[in-house]
This record gives sequence, structure tokens and C-alpha cells, in this order.
Amino acid sequence: MSETSELKARTEEGQAVPNERDEQKGKYMTFKSGNEYYGLKIQYVKEIIQFQAITAIPETETYIKGLINLRGKVIPVIDVRLRFKQEPIEYDDRTCIMVVNVKSTTVGLIVEKIAEVVEIKEENILPPPSIGRMEKGQNKYVYGIGKVGDSVKLLLDPDKLLNDEDLSAAEQSDDVILEEE
Amino acid sequence: MAEEFNTEGMLDMYLFENEQLLEQLQDRVLEQKDAECFDEDSINEIFRTMHTIKGSSGIMMFDNITAVSHKLEDVFFYLRESHPENVPHLDLVEHVLEVADFISNEMDKIRSGSPVDGDASEIIARLDKFLNMLKNGIKQEGTEPPPENVHEEPKQFYIAPVATSASRFYKIYLTFFPETEMANVHAYKTVYALKEIAEDLLYSPDDIIADEGSAEQILKEGFRILLQAQCDEQEIRDIIGVGYDIKNVDIFECKAEEFLQGFDFGEQGVQIDLESSVEEIENKAQAEKKQEESGEKEEKEPAKPKIAPGDFVIKSKEPGKHKTLAKDKNKGEKASFISVNVSKMDQLMELIGELVISESVVLQSPDLKVPGLNLNNFNKAASQLAKISTDLQNVIMSMRMVSLTNTFQKMNRIVFDVSRKLGKDIEFEMVGEHTEVDKNIIEHISDPLMHLVRNAVDHGIETNEERAESGKPDKGKVILSARTEAGKVWISVEDNGKGLDRDKILAKARKQGLLDDSKSDASYTDKEVFQFITLPGFSTNEQVTEYSGRGVGMDVVVQNLQAIGGTLDIESTAGFGSVMSLKIPLTLAIINGIVLETGNSSFVMETGAIKEFVSVKENMMIREPNGDEYVMIRGECFPVRRLGKWYGMSAYKESVEDGMMLILEVEDKKVCLFVDKLVGEQEIVVKPIPSYIKKVKGLSGCTQLGDGSIALILDAAGLLE
Repeated sequence: MSETSELKARTEEGQAVPNERDEQKGKYMTFKSGNEYYGLKIQYVKEIIQFQAITAIPETETYIKGLINLRGKVIPVIDVRLRFKQEPIEYDDRTCIMVVNVKSTTVGLIVEKIAEVVEIKEENILPPPSIGRMEKGQNKYVYGIGKVGDSVKLLLDPDKLLNDEDLSAAEQSDDVILEEE
Repeated sequence: MAEEFNTEGMLDMYLFENEQLLEQLQDRVLEQKDAECFDEDSINEIFRTMHTIKGSSGIMMFDNITAVSHKLEDVFFYLRESHPENVPHLDLVEHVLEVADFISNEMDKIRSGSPVDGDASEIIARLDKFLNMLKNGIKQEGTEPPPENVHEEPKQFYIAPVATSASRFYKIYLTFFPETEMANVHAYKTVYALKEIAEDLLYSPDDIIADEGSAEQILKEGFRILLQAQCDEQEIRDIIGVGYDIKNVDIFECKAEEFLQGFDFGEQGVQIDLESSVEEIENKAQAEKKQEESGEKEEKEPAKPKIAPGDFVIKSKEPGKHKTLAKDKNKGEKASFISVNVSKMDQLMELIGELVISESVVLQSPDLKVPGLNLNNFNKAASQLAKISTDLQNVIMSMRMVSLTNTFQKMNRIVFDVSRKLGKDIEFEMVGEHTEVDKNIIEHISDPLMHLVRNAVDHGIETNEERAESGKPDKGKVILSARTEAGKVWISVEDNGKGLDRDKILAKARKQGLLDDSKSDASYTDKEVFQFITLPGFSTNEQVTEYSGRGVGMDVVVQNLQAIGGTLDIESTAGFGSVMSLKIPLTLAIINGIVLETGNSSFVMETGAIKEFVSVKENMMIREPNGDEYVMIRGECFPVRRLGKWYGMSAYKESVEDGMMLILEVEDKKVCLFVDKLVGEQEIVVKPIPSYIKKVKGLSGCTQLGDGSIALILDAAGLLE
């Protein structure tokens, strides 16, 4: 009786859960796209899988490459390079699909090369420079620049990465119409 | 994210039970809406339902639900024991439905986690008014109204109060006139009234509500009450009030010892905990309270409240309760059903889908294609496996099949509401409501059906005056029917109203620029004309009413239907009414499909939509200068749609002689679809395209093929647009 209650008390305090979170805190999965390295908070990353055959879907944005079958679950994949409006490259054996889960949407990101998991402390993250690289399409996904030793990683906001602002705006207006009905 | 409920919780049980109760209630009420009044059974059942809801809501502390259900219970309490005449039946029906709506609305709030804040006071006020009207309408003379069914909070537990020196003890004998009906209810009423003043109260026979036989016993032997209270005999007499079928009231004051002895005639089963000290009784009471709190949510049957305030712990209440519970159980043969969380069913369905896919992965494995293998045993085992998995699929499909009865009942309600509001006299008929359809499909057709039924009542059927003028003798009628045919379900909404006004629709269409100016009105067929009303923003009703006329109804109907692969067919005869027929697939989950390839992609087309496969020669093609293509097959000319070109794909076959033509037929429209290659027929498990990807015209989903790759499912109706 006393043991179980003790156990209960411990789990209620929730020590196990924060530990896991602590472990993940400040860690970023970094990958290469073009000449830059990008970082994505590790808690969004579910798994990394080998590149596999993609079923193309017609009439979608070019960066949406299509659908893959992830153990029976159909998930869409997007090409990060195309998303950043960079030139497409041939996929090779280094190309990976990083499966991320953002707000219960599971999406695969095709990245050129997976780098490593790095820890970036809060104080080493700078806001993105407001001048320079003002190209509109580029800056909005990057919410900070993380310094790791001598190199820098561009930290990505996954939500903005997945959702085109124009697109979501259009969708929202659609929704409004539906609600009115 | 999918909403997940913890099925174990008390709240879920509460919601689930009440939902069912409300559904039954509505069915019951609507069943008898056209009758003169509710029959005895219904009144009892409504009373019981409200009582149960009141009780459980009290435990869950949803005070507004408790209050409303209590009020309606009052009304039916009155109906059931006073049998008033001239009850405005339709008003009563409306009141009941209003309460049911209020409660289900509040339950929705509970479900979504928002505060249960609906204001019940208005409904209560209306019910009060109604009740008063009933009472005054029947008894003009100043006889006092029956005692109110006293509202008590079931969540509280009363323990026996300590007898004070001021308390006096009485034995009360009530005798009723022998012809009194439902004497038990009258007795119950008295008990209720006495509770107001009672410190302690005991009566015999004790099981006056649940046990119908007690009425007879009361008539024969009289009704005995032991009362402990701080008032004198006259006050008690006033409370009991002679006159309401009570022949005689005898009140004897007695001593405390006598009182504690209970009834000297030794009632069977009644035991009063006399020896225990007050503390012990309190302890027991507390123990019971705990038991109640610990989730043993007991149905608050009418038998329960009578032992509430001021009672000693009377053991005999247990058998009584069991009896009532058992009685309820027997009714719907509930024992042979279990209710399963839908998400679990979906999971099972998904797993079976996976199984079907992996089965085809195994059976089509490239390893088996090695020449020279002896596969006799493998093939035997494989066919056995295939048989079992087909059976498994059939079973899960049949488990998901739900009859349309509930959906149809809801429509009954709509007809009732709308026709009442509009003052139209409308009869509603259901045909084939037991037709079974996949649960997912039911969810999708409920809204379209609602629109159609509303339209029929609002626009279709004329007002009573108009009907009289145009010489239609019969009542307005809406017939909702369902039947299965050729793997599809047909649901039609038929009304005998004025029908669609072809000229009006044409005029409106011309105004909106939908017609080809070079064509005359007469060259459009009725069918084409009626299709216009399914376009967005098209409503010929000049006046927007509360129910329809904004022109958003019909296009939503069509959209919703298309989402599940259904179609809408409109027939109408001016002056005689219209028929709206929905044609929907029986199931969505597993379909037979033809796998085909174009470019580098695989597609699947539902087998039912394909009329035939044709290999065509170049000389059968007709090309227009603007790029449109047609093909002549056996003297018939079909428009051609090249799948590769339509989706702007790369590396598809150009020459029609290299590929294959599929003749598709949807709603009498035919089109030739040109694809590169046919792969074969297969049972496919339909999966939705992830919502991240916006809807693509002509695609209705995706599926996994035998080799694990994904194919897109083509939607024939979408391709025809």
C-alpha cells in the first residue's frame, strides 16, 4: 500500500516526463540544404527514414513531392530545397526523409543530408538579422540563428515551414464560408 | 486531433446513458405526435426518463439540467396522476422536445469541455406556465393543486435527525375510495408532502412506486404512515388535504417507543435499524454515501427519493431497486448488445485493411515468380488465407452497418418542427428505414438529408390555404424512403407539394448567365434545368426564411454527397411534387477497383464506375481545333480525357493505340478516360489523402497496393466535371 502510494506520488509529480523533456530541451536536429545548415527542434522529429519511392500528386505545389507509405500510414512529403526555392537536385543515397510531426500533422521532409544533433543554448540563439537576405521567401521560416562553435545553424519554425501563408490564408477563408453554411 | 474519450469515466457513462434516454424519448414523443394525447405507457416512460436524467444530473451536479428535467417531470407527474383532459397535445410535444433539445445541447457542452451554462429559467418558466394552465383549465373550483413533486438534490444524503424533545410521533392511516386508480401514486404524493415537515417518516406498503401491485394493497388495507414531526395533528391534516380521492385520514399520536417499533403488523422485509446508536447510523449512512460516490452510479429510479430525507436506513429498499432495474433491462434485450467505442472499431477496421494489404504483398511476392518452384502447398494455404480474410472483412463490414432508423427519426423531428412553425399540416412517412448503411456514410448523409427534408417542407409543400385553392384535398405529405439496389443505397425524399418551377429556374439561370444564349429554353431537358438548383448561390425562393432560401442548401447537399461518392437525382412534376433521390455507396472502406498506370503513377478506379475497356485505333479519334478530343465507338461519340495530360504528368503515352480507353459512366454522363496501362482488379482499402494536401479535383483518396506503393483513387464524378 505504502509503496504504491509512494510510486503514485512520484509519478504524479511527473518526474519521468520532464526528464525526457529536459533531455530534448535545447537539442536540434541539423541538416544540410544548399550551402546552409538548418536546425529543427528535436521534439518535432519523429524519425528519419531512407529515401523511398514517392507517389506524385497532380495539381499541388511543386515542393509537395507526393505521398509515401510509412508502415501503412500515408504521409505527404515535401522537398525542403524546393520549399526554400532553391534549385532541385537529384536524389541520391544520402537523401533522407525526416518525418516530423507538427500539431498532429505528420509530414516527411526530403533533405539533402542529415547532419547531427546539436545542443544550442538559449543565449546562443540570435534573432534573424532584419537587414540583409531580405528575400521574402527565405526569412519567414527562420526564427533564429544558433551558434554552435564557429558554425551557425538556421533554426526553422516547423509550422511556417509546412504551411504556406498564402495557402493557409486561402484555406481559412474557405473555412469561413463553410461555417456560414 | 481525434477526440478521445475515456470510456471508463462516470461522465462518459452519464453522457452515453442520457443520450440514449433522450433518443428514446424523442422517438416515443414523435411516434405519438399525431395522436390525441400520450397513452399511459408513454406518460410513465417520459416521467421515468426525466426522473432518471434528473437523478443522474444531480449526481453529476449539472444543476440546470436537473432543474429542467425536474420541471418536465412535474408536468408528467401531474398528467399521470390527474389525467387532465383537453391537454394541448402538440404544445406538450413541443415542450418535451424543447427540454430534450436543451439537455442534449448542454450535454454537447459537457462533451466539449465547456462550462454547462445554458439558462434553464426560460424553459422552466414556460413549463410552469403550461403546468398552471393545465391545472387551472381542469379544476375551476378552488380545490388545491396537487402537491408539487418536491425538488430535492439527489447528490445530498440525509441522515436521520436526532429526535428532539419537541418531536411528536404519529401513526397515520389513510384509506382511499375503492375505485381510486393508481392509489400508490396518491400515497406517494402524500408522502412527498409530509416530507416537508417530517423529521422521520416510514410507510407501508413501502414499495409504492416500483411495485404496481401496491395500489391494490393500499386500497384494500389502507396506507400507513409513521411520522415524526414537530407539528400538531391539524397541521398534518392540512398537509395531507382530504378530498383528493382520500376517503378517510386517521391520525393517532403515539409514544416514541411505539414509533420505533414500526408497524406492529410486521411488514415483510421492512427492517428498521433501531438498535444502533445515532453514530452508528451515521456511519452507515456515510458508508453508503461513499459507495455512491465511488462510481456506483445507481439509476435513480422513482423508488429512490422516497427514502431520502429523514429516513432511517431501511434495508428493504435494495430488493425494490433490483426489481426496477431488472425490469428496465428486459425491455430492449440489452444484454445481447455491447456498446463499443467507435474509435476501437475504426482501429480494427484499419488493421483488417492492413491485413488485406499484407496478404496481397505476400501472395504477390516476387520470390514466388522464380521459375521451377513447386507451389502446390503454398497455393492451397494461400487460398485458405484469402478465404478467411474475406470473411473477416465481411464481418467487420457488417459490424459497421447501422440502420437508418435514427437518421430518419431525426428527419421526422425536423418535419414536425418546421411544419409547426410554418403552420403547414404535413404528414411524414418513412419507408425502409431499417436499411443498413456503413456508419461513416450515415454521418455524411445526415446533413444533406436534413436540407432536403427542410426544403420539401418549406418550399415543396404549399401552405394549407394554397393547397385548398389548388384543389388538393389531401394533407401535405413527405415520404422518406430507403432501399438498396446494385450495391448502392437509394434514399429519396418525396413530397406532394407544388414541384419545382421550371420557368422560374430557367429565368433565374438566364439572369445569372448560366444558360447558353443561343439555345432556347425549351431545348433544355427537365433534368438539366433542375440541376441548376444544385449550383452555389441559386435559390428561387424570393424570401429567405428561417429554414431555407439562402441558396446555400442544395450545393452543400451535392458537395457532401460527392465527398462520399454519392449523387443527387432530381425529379419533379409541377403541381404534383418532387422526388430528390440520393444514390450513395453502401460502404466507403473497401471497394473493388481497377488498378491502372499512367506515366509513372498508379491509379485506381472504382470498378462500378467503369462500363467497359476499349482499345481504340487512331482513325476512331475526332479532334477539334481547340484541342478537345472525341472518340467514335460503335457509332457513339464520347469525349476523351487523357489522364496524363489532365494532371500535367510527364512520360505518358501519346498515341491512343498504345494505351487503353476506359468508358466511365456517372449519372448517365459518359466519358472516355485514356490511360497507359491496365494492371488488374483488386480489393482496395480506401484511405483519405492527408489533409495537409489540398483537395485535388478527380481524386477521392489513396490506397496501398500489393507491392507497398501508393496509388491514387480516381473519382469518376470529379473527372466528368
